[in-house]
Amino acid sequence: MNGFFKQGSGNLKRLEAGGGEQAVTMSADIIEGFLCPICMKDLGTVSQLQGHFEEEHSSEDKAVFQSLKGFFDKAKKRILGDKLETELTPGGEPAKREELGGLSGYDPSWWEEQELGAIRSHTDTFKSVRDARVDHFVVETNKLLIRLDKLLSPEAPADPKKRKAFERAVVQWIPDNEVSACLSCGRSFGLLTRRHHCRLCGRIMCDRCSEFMASSYAHKLVNPGHNFSGEGFLKRSSSNTSINSLVSQDGESHMRVCKTCRKLLERRDVMTEQRNTKPAIVQIYDKMKMCISDAEQILPDYLPMVDSLSQGETVHNFRQALIMRTKLVKLYEAVDQLSKKIMLLPVPSDTNSRQLHLQKSIRIYASNFMQENLMGLQALPTEEEYNKLREARAAEIQRKIAAERQAAMDAQERERRERLARDSQSGNALSAEEGPQFGHRRVGSSGGSEQSKRKLIANKILNSAGSKSHTRSDSEGGVGTDKGWKPVEESTRAQKVSDPMLQQMEIIKGYIKQARQAQRMDEVVMLEQNLKELTAEYTRQKQQESS
Amino acid sequence: MNVILAVKQYISKMIEGCGGGMKVLLMDKETTSIVSMVYAQSEILQKEVYLFERIDTAGRETMKHLNCIAFLRPTKENVDLLAQELRMPKYGLYFIYFSNVISKQDIKVLAEADDQEVVREVQEFYGDYIAVNPHLFSLNLVGCCQNFSWFPPVLSRTIQGLTSVLLSLKKCPMIRYQNSSEMARRLADSVRQVISKEAALFEFRKTDVPPVLLILDRRDDAVTPLLNQWTYQAMVHELLSINNNRINLSTVPGISKDLQEVVLSAEHDEFYANNMYMNFGEIGSNIKELMEEFQKKSKSHAKVESIADMKAFVENYPQFKKMSGTVSKHVTIVGELSRLVGAHLLLEVSETEQEIACHGDHSPLLQRIRALLASDKVRHIDMLRLVMLYALRYESHSNNDVSGLVDALRQKGLSAEHRAMVQSILDYGGKKARGSDLFGNQDAVAITKRLLKGLKGVENVYTQHKPLLFTILDQLIKGKLKEASYPYLGTGQLKDRPQDIIVFIIGGCTYEEALAVHNFNRMMPGVRIVLGGTTLHNSKSFLQEVSTAVGSGGSAGQNMRMGRQ
Repeated sequence: MNGFFKQGSGNLKRLEAGGGEQAVTMSADIIEGFLCPICMKDLGTVSQLQGHFEEEHSSEDKAVFQSLKGFFDKAKKRILGDKLETELTPGGEPAKREELGGLSGYDPSWWEEQELGAIRSHTDTFKSVRDARVDHFVVETNKLLIRLDKLLSPEAPADPKKRKAFERAVVQWIPDNEVSACLSCGRSFGLLTRRHHCRLCGRIMCDRCSEFMASSYAHKLVNPGHNFSGEGFLKRSSSNTSINSLVSQDGESHMRVCKTCRKLLERRDVMTEQRNTKPAIVQIYDKMKMCISDAEQILPDYLPMVDSLSQGETVHNFRQALIMRTKLVKLYEAVDQLSKKIMLLPVPSDTNSRQLHLQKSIRIYASNFMQENLMGLQALPTEEEYNKLREARAAEIQRKIAAERQAAMDAQERERRERLARDSQSGNALSAEEGPQFGHRRVGSSGGSEQSKRKLIANKILNSAGSKSHTRSDSEGGVGTDKGWKPVEESTRAQKVSDPMLQQMEIIKGYIKQARQAQRMDEVVMLEQNLKELTAEYTRQKQQESS
Repeated sequence: MNVILAVKQYISKMIEGCGGGMKVLLMDKETTSIVSMVYAQSEILQKEVYLFERIDTAGRETMKHLNCIAFLRPTKENVDLLAQELRMPKYGLYFIYFSNVISKQDIKVLAEADDQEVVREVQEFYGDYIAVNPHLFSLNLVGCCQNFSWFPPVLSRTIQGLTSVLLSLKKCPMIRYQNSSEMARRLADSVRQVISKEAALFEFRKTDVPPVLLILDRRDDAVTPLLNQWTYQAMVHELLSINNNRINLSTVPGISKDLQEVVLSAEHDEFYANNMYMNFGEIGSNIKELMEEFQKKSKSHAKVESIADMKAFVENYPQFKKMSGTVSKHVTIVGELSRLVGAHLLLEVSETEQEIACHGDHSPLLQRIRALLASDKVRHIDMLRLVMLYALRYESHSNNDVSGLVDALRQKGLSAEHRAMVQSILDYGGKKARGSDLFGNQDAVAITKRLLKGLKGVENVYTQHKPLLFTILDQLIKGKLKEASYPYLGTGQLKDRPQDIIVFIIGGCTYEEALAVHNFNRMMPGVRIVLGGTTLHNSKSFLQEVSTAVGSGGSAGQNMRMGRQ
């Protein structure tokens, strides 16, 4: 887009900028080029656009200015004042127009490439501070997990007394006499406030600071596969449940731990949980994104196929295009379905739910994507239509070949005459001409020479091999004036050639045919390139010989 | 040198850096404005950013399946909120971008809050200003001084804003400032301090001609913000107020519900982009063109008969809808503008204003002002502006009749507070406050120029005024700006003519000045100018600026002003 804006000058700047903007805003089909902002016609070059605009639209502008008279009240016209009048005089118009155009809000120089502004990263500093801290947690947590695993092992005794001894063997408890106040809240211990040990770190706390971890939650911590639902921790209920009981009312056993241990274990749990679970929305979303990226991959291959097929060309296989199209449509359908599914996922009943908002936004995203792509998905011709197109094209090509032959002969004829005329002068004009461009030919009838004749020969051979040819010849204008050419001669001439280069060319053509049958499009392209180069070289040599 | 692009590239880079998947953009009040100026919501949506949240919204839902891009100003409040957020993360991963320099200490606070290791990036992206047009930025700070010296929080925000502009454009400039303004000197000094403190950040590829930062004070030209405007963008701001590209139309008689607030963004509205600098008359004809085109399209859409028609309709529908929105928006705005112009004699008022600002015949002007003050159609604010302009222009004229005009204002029912503004504007931007020759009185060349101009007749009586900034920039570009009035900070001096220029006006700039800069950019190849101000004024916000600047704020200031009266 940048190059696009940079070109042109003065009044054209505005025109282009206008066209460019439209191209940007039109999401369905983006048009680039030197567009007339009024009728959206692509005019190829700056000067053509300017000419077109002056011819076609200047009168419209005048009409607008005239009709303005009825549209705005007197007061506003006073502002335009004399400007309006000069605008209406035809002589001074282009200059004025330029002035007006230049005032537009978009200056092309603003859209020069601009580097990303300065940035500075603190990520490393951040991570080093965090890691130092987190490492400590990780070590602690791992220690707790190892202990927890031991405590939960099937060998652990169930008998309360033996169990206590076992627990103390796994974790060394801090002796009672070393601690006179709760390590967590600072209450001093006495008759009413008794000492309790955390089963995981062995530290002492009061009953208020104790937490109780459900054993099923503990199992889940050690073994993520363990099925668990409900609350992981309980506060000791103040009611009649026995303090020492390891079994709560619902029959689940609990383990006394301190707050620090609880925090560490929960932190780990949350992190594993997040790593291992994918909510429904993410699963569907991932699927949807996959469909979108698949479609985005296929589309660039498909579009040129359709173009070429609807021209009746035979480079691409009709069935293959059909398969691709079906695939694309299926993908788009899937995107549509999946995004709908996301939108309809159950959300919290809250009317102002952000989750709902998220789901709607995803749906908008998907429908925007489809608007941009599905709408632009050109339909393939039906097989019947395609066959007709192909025949029509083949006939057209035949016609063109004939026409070009004539043109070439015409040219040859003329050249012979010219050479005769030139014999008196020094005949070095031909060597100045360089190799022709095969495939994209823009041969003017005036430029006909030995060069174009050689090209024709090669082209004919190519066509007989069933090759694609972008024949965009401009030579029709000069066709049919001279009659006297004999195609038979031409063909015999072509067969007579035993030049090794021509042989090589024939071989490559054979390869191309085979590659095409084998659907190896990449190789076809490569081989055609080779052939083009060969032809060019051959023509050049011949030219040098003849001159 | 395109500030819109600079901010936009920062935002795109943030989103890119976050990778694929569903995203939420977490912002504060200011960064929300910053982002909304450069990206349309629909545009950002196509980059998989599905939610926009404010960090100060309490009780946001937890959505671990979203990755969070946090774009925040590095304020203490934000750091605290973010640390709190990281302790109990609501989203899966966090990519944190601060809009300006953040201290090591704050980084540490955040790192210590991130026990769950959810943070992936912490970076500084210097998009710390409001990009209005490609060559225009604002900091949205009204009332930057009290008693004619910097209000400290506003000064520090201004320093941050201005340095972030430099960083986002990768410019390490030579600094020039208006010598007559203490505030300009102080800001220039502070900016230089930041540059030398963050020397590593400001190390950019050297250009042949170093960029120039020119710091000016609004007090040197108090006339420009008082004038009525006739180019589209400026006029809309003057009569309807543009606030972060939004225009409130809810007071317009008979407005439909969906047009109560409209957005005018040159980035997303082609018609606006092409017409923002056109004058009012030209817009009229362009609107008509737009309507005709629209009618043509809607006619072709009206007959949906065949399947082909239907297909064409569906294909064009999004554009069609967009266009219909644009048409109704601009027709409404222009309609309202012309209603206001007609109802309040704005053409007559504006013509008189321009005469005051540009020509000098005292007595006929006084007659015209008196006549306008007698009219019932003229708005009070316009009367006040006329008298203020008159007071500024004829401050030292021996026969000036400021007190008589103020008395006329009183008879019209203007409050004492409003009448006091006449004295305030003299204190703010009167002769004593000015460093340059605002009305071109002394300079013989200027007088002859004016005479010549008077003989030739002017192109357009409503837009003859040229802001002082125009003259200053013209001299700067030609290398003729006097060093005594606009000294360099430090020892360095520019030998060549400057190419990249950043102008900043303390006390706010105007859309008229933005247009002048736009014209420079357009006509002078090789010169690129970006204009910024503490805010973008219309006359209303400017009056507010003046009254905070003059008083120390509150009732004491008002009393003082009344006493003078």
